[in-house]
Amino acid sequence: MIFLRRQLPLLITMITGLVMAAQYYVPHPASEQLLTTVTKWLQIIGGFALVLGITSLFHVHAAKIRRKEAGWAYSLVLYVGMLGTVIVGLWNNGKESIDGALTSFGWVYSYTLVPLQGTMFAILAFFIASAAYRSFRARSREAAVLLVAAVIVMMGRVPLGEYILPLSGDLSSWILNVLNASVRRAILIGVSLGAVALSFKIIFGVERSYLGGGKE
Amino acid sequence: MTFAERMLRIDRRIIFLVIGLCTLVPLLFPVGLPIKISSEVRGVYDYIEGLPEGSVFLLSLDFDPASKPELYPQAISILRHAFKKNLRVVAMTLWVSGTGLADQILTQTAKEAGKENGKDYVFLGWSPGGSAVILNMGQDLYNAFPADYGGKATKGLPVLAGVQNLRDVTYAVSLGAGNPGVEAWYVFGKDKYKFELGGGCTGVIAPGLYPLLRSGQINGLIGGLRGAAEYETLIGQKGKAVAGMDAQSATHLAIIVLVAICNIFYFSLRRQQRRQDGMGS
Repeated sequence: MIFLRRQLPLLITMITGLVMAAQYYVPHPASEQLLTTVTKWLQIIGGFALVLGITSLFHVHAAKIRRKEAGWAYSLVLYVGMLGTVIVGLWNNGKESIDGALTSFGWVYSYTLVPLQGTMFAILAFFIASAAYRSFRARSREAAVLLVAAVIVMMGRVPLGEYILPLSGDLSSWILNVLNASVRRAILIGVSLGAVALSFKIIFGVERSYLGGGKE
Repeated sequence: MTFAERMLRIDRRIIFLVIGLCTLVPLLFPVGLPIKISSEVRGVYDYIEGLPEGSVFLLSLDFDPASKPELYPQAISILRHAFKKNLRVVAMTLWVSGTGLADQILTQTAKEAGKENGKDYVFLGWSPGGSAVILNMGQDLYNAFPADYGGKATKGLPVLAGVQNLRDVTYAVSLGAGNPGVEAWYVFGKDKYKFELGGGCTGVIAPGLYPLLRSGQINGLIGGLRGAAEYETLIGQKGKAVAGMDAQSATHLAIIVLVAICNIFYFSLRRQQRRQDGMGS
């Protein structure tokens, strides 16, 4: 049993990891065919992951409703919304429009999801403004530099800013293209090296936390 | 409580009102300030402009309705441009919640340009797997999408004639609001299957994509509403993005003024406290 629970998954991970890493450098048709098959499987697993995620979401919110935890009514709304959309979606075979006319599923999408997500995005602008007013203060030299850079970028990204301060457009472009890009690149290189190191650790069985139960 | 302290603890509803007015008034009374074109946006425009008729143009609309204000105008402008250039448009999405929106955008622009589904354009829809879909398309497009969004078999569609996988795509643009998006299209698509790639994104994630732009991993970047407004200006069809630039100008300026006011009161309060401390000692 230990073999099935520990050694076998480790073996599969190692073989798959090494084979797929090698595959990238082998342009042979057999190698390409392997990639096609594996990616198809990845897509299938992706579909199952979606089912798993939805099931987990249902469980979490069902427990909230059962225990009448704070905000349980929101969980009820989630249940009604999700089940309602699934039923309407199945009823319409997943089609949002037929010959240009909206189906009931399309109606739910266009008149519920689109405005709701749009509203959430729009509200963000108000909270950003309020947060900027309360916390964007030049408390230190570093904060002052950040403040000046932010003001220049904000000015340079809108026509009115460029009209008031004509240099702000070029300055903003320089900040984004030179300062920002170089710092981001350094972070990206660091993150990528970390990902490579972690991948090696997983492939060679050093990192086993993905099997559950932490390191052994 | 002093005046400066009161101003620093201003009711957030006043700030909300200021931002609300700064958004609403320019939308009702647009000024139409000139928009300067950046080299990033011109990169995408020039590449599409230089493509010969009938080239395969892949547009991946990797966003959901939350990013509609910024990415919807970008998608409309790019599609208008592609249809005007008589390119073969292959559209798809990696975000399941964006499928309906992508379909609406494509149908609307195609109808406007008088293009025919299946012959001039195709909407492949969404397929599970995220980045794996890109890899699968790179190997065999018909394996990843055996049928289009309408359920029609993709094999044999005139728009896909001669297209077997991503290697046959002339130019791809990903309009991404996160992951999977532009980066995924570079890592799993362009890097492996060697096609030219451009990007579009929300204003928030644009700074994160500049390294890809500077290294030539993407040949252009349309960033946020400003990028969309630039593209609308370039194709000479001003739309929602140009209209929104006045509102964005006003809100940016309002935030700058608010931050300046906050700092003025912050420093005056600090000076007051220092003076009091000096008198106390």
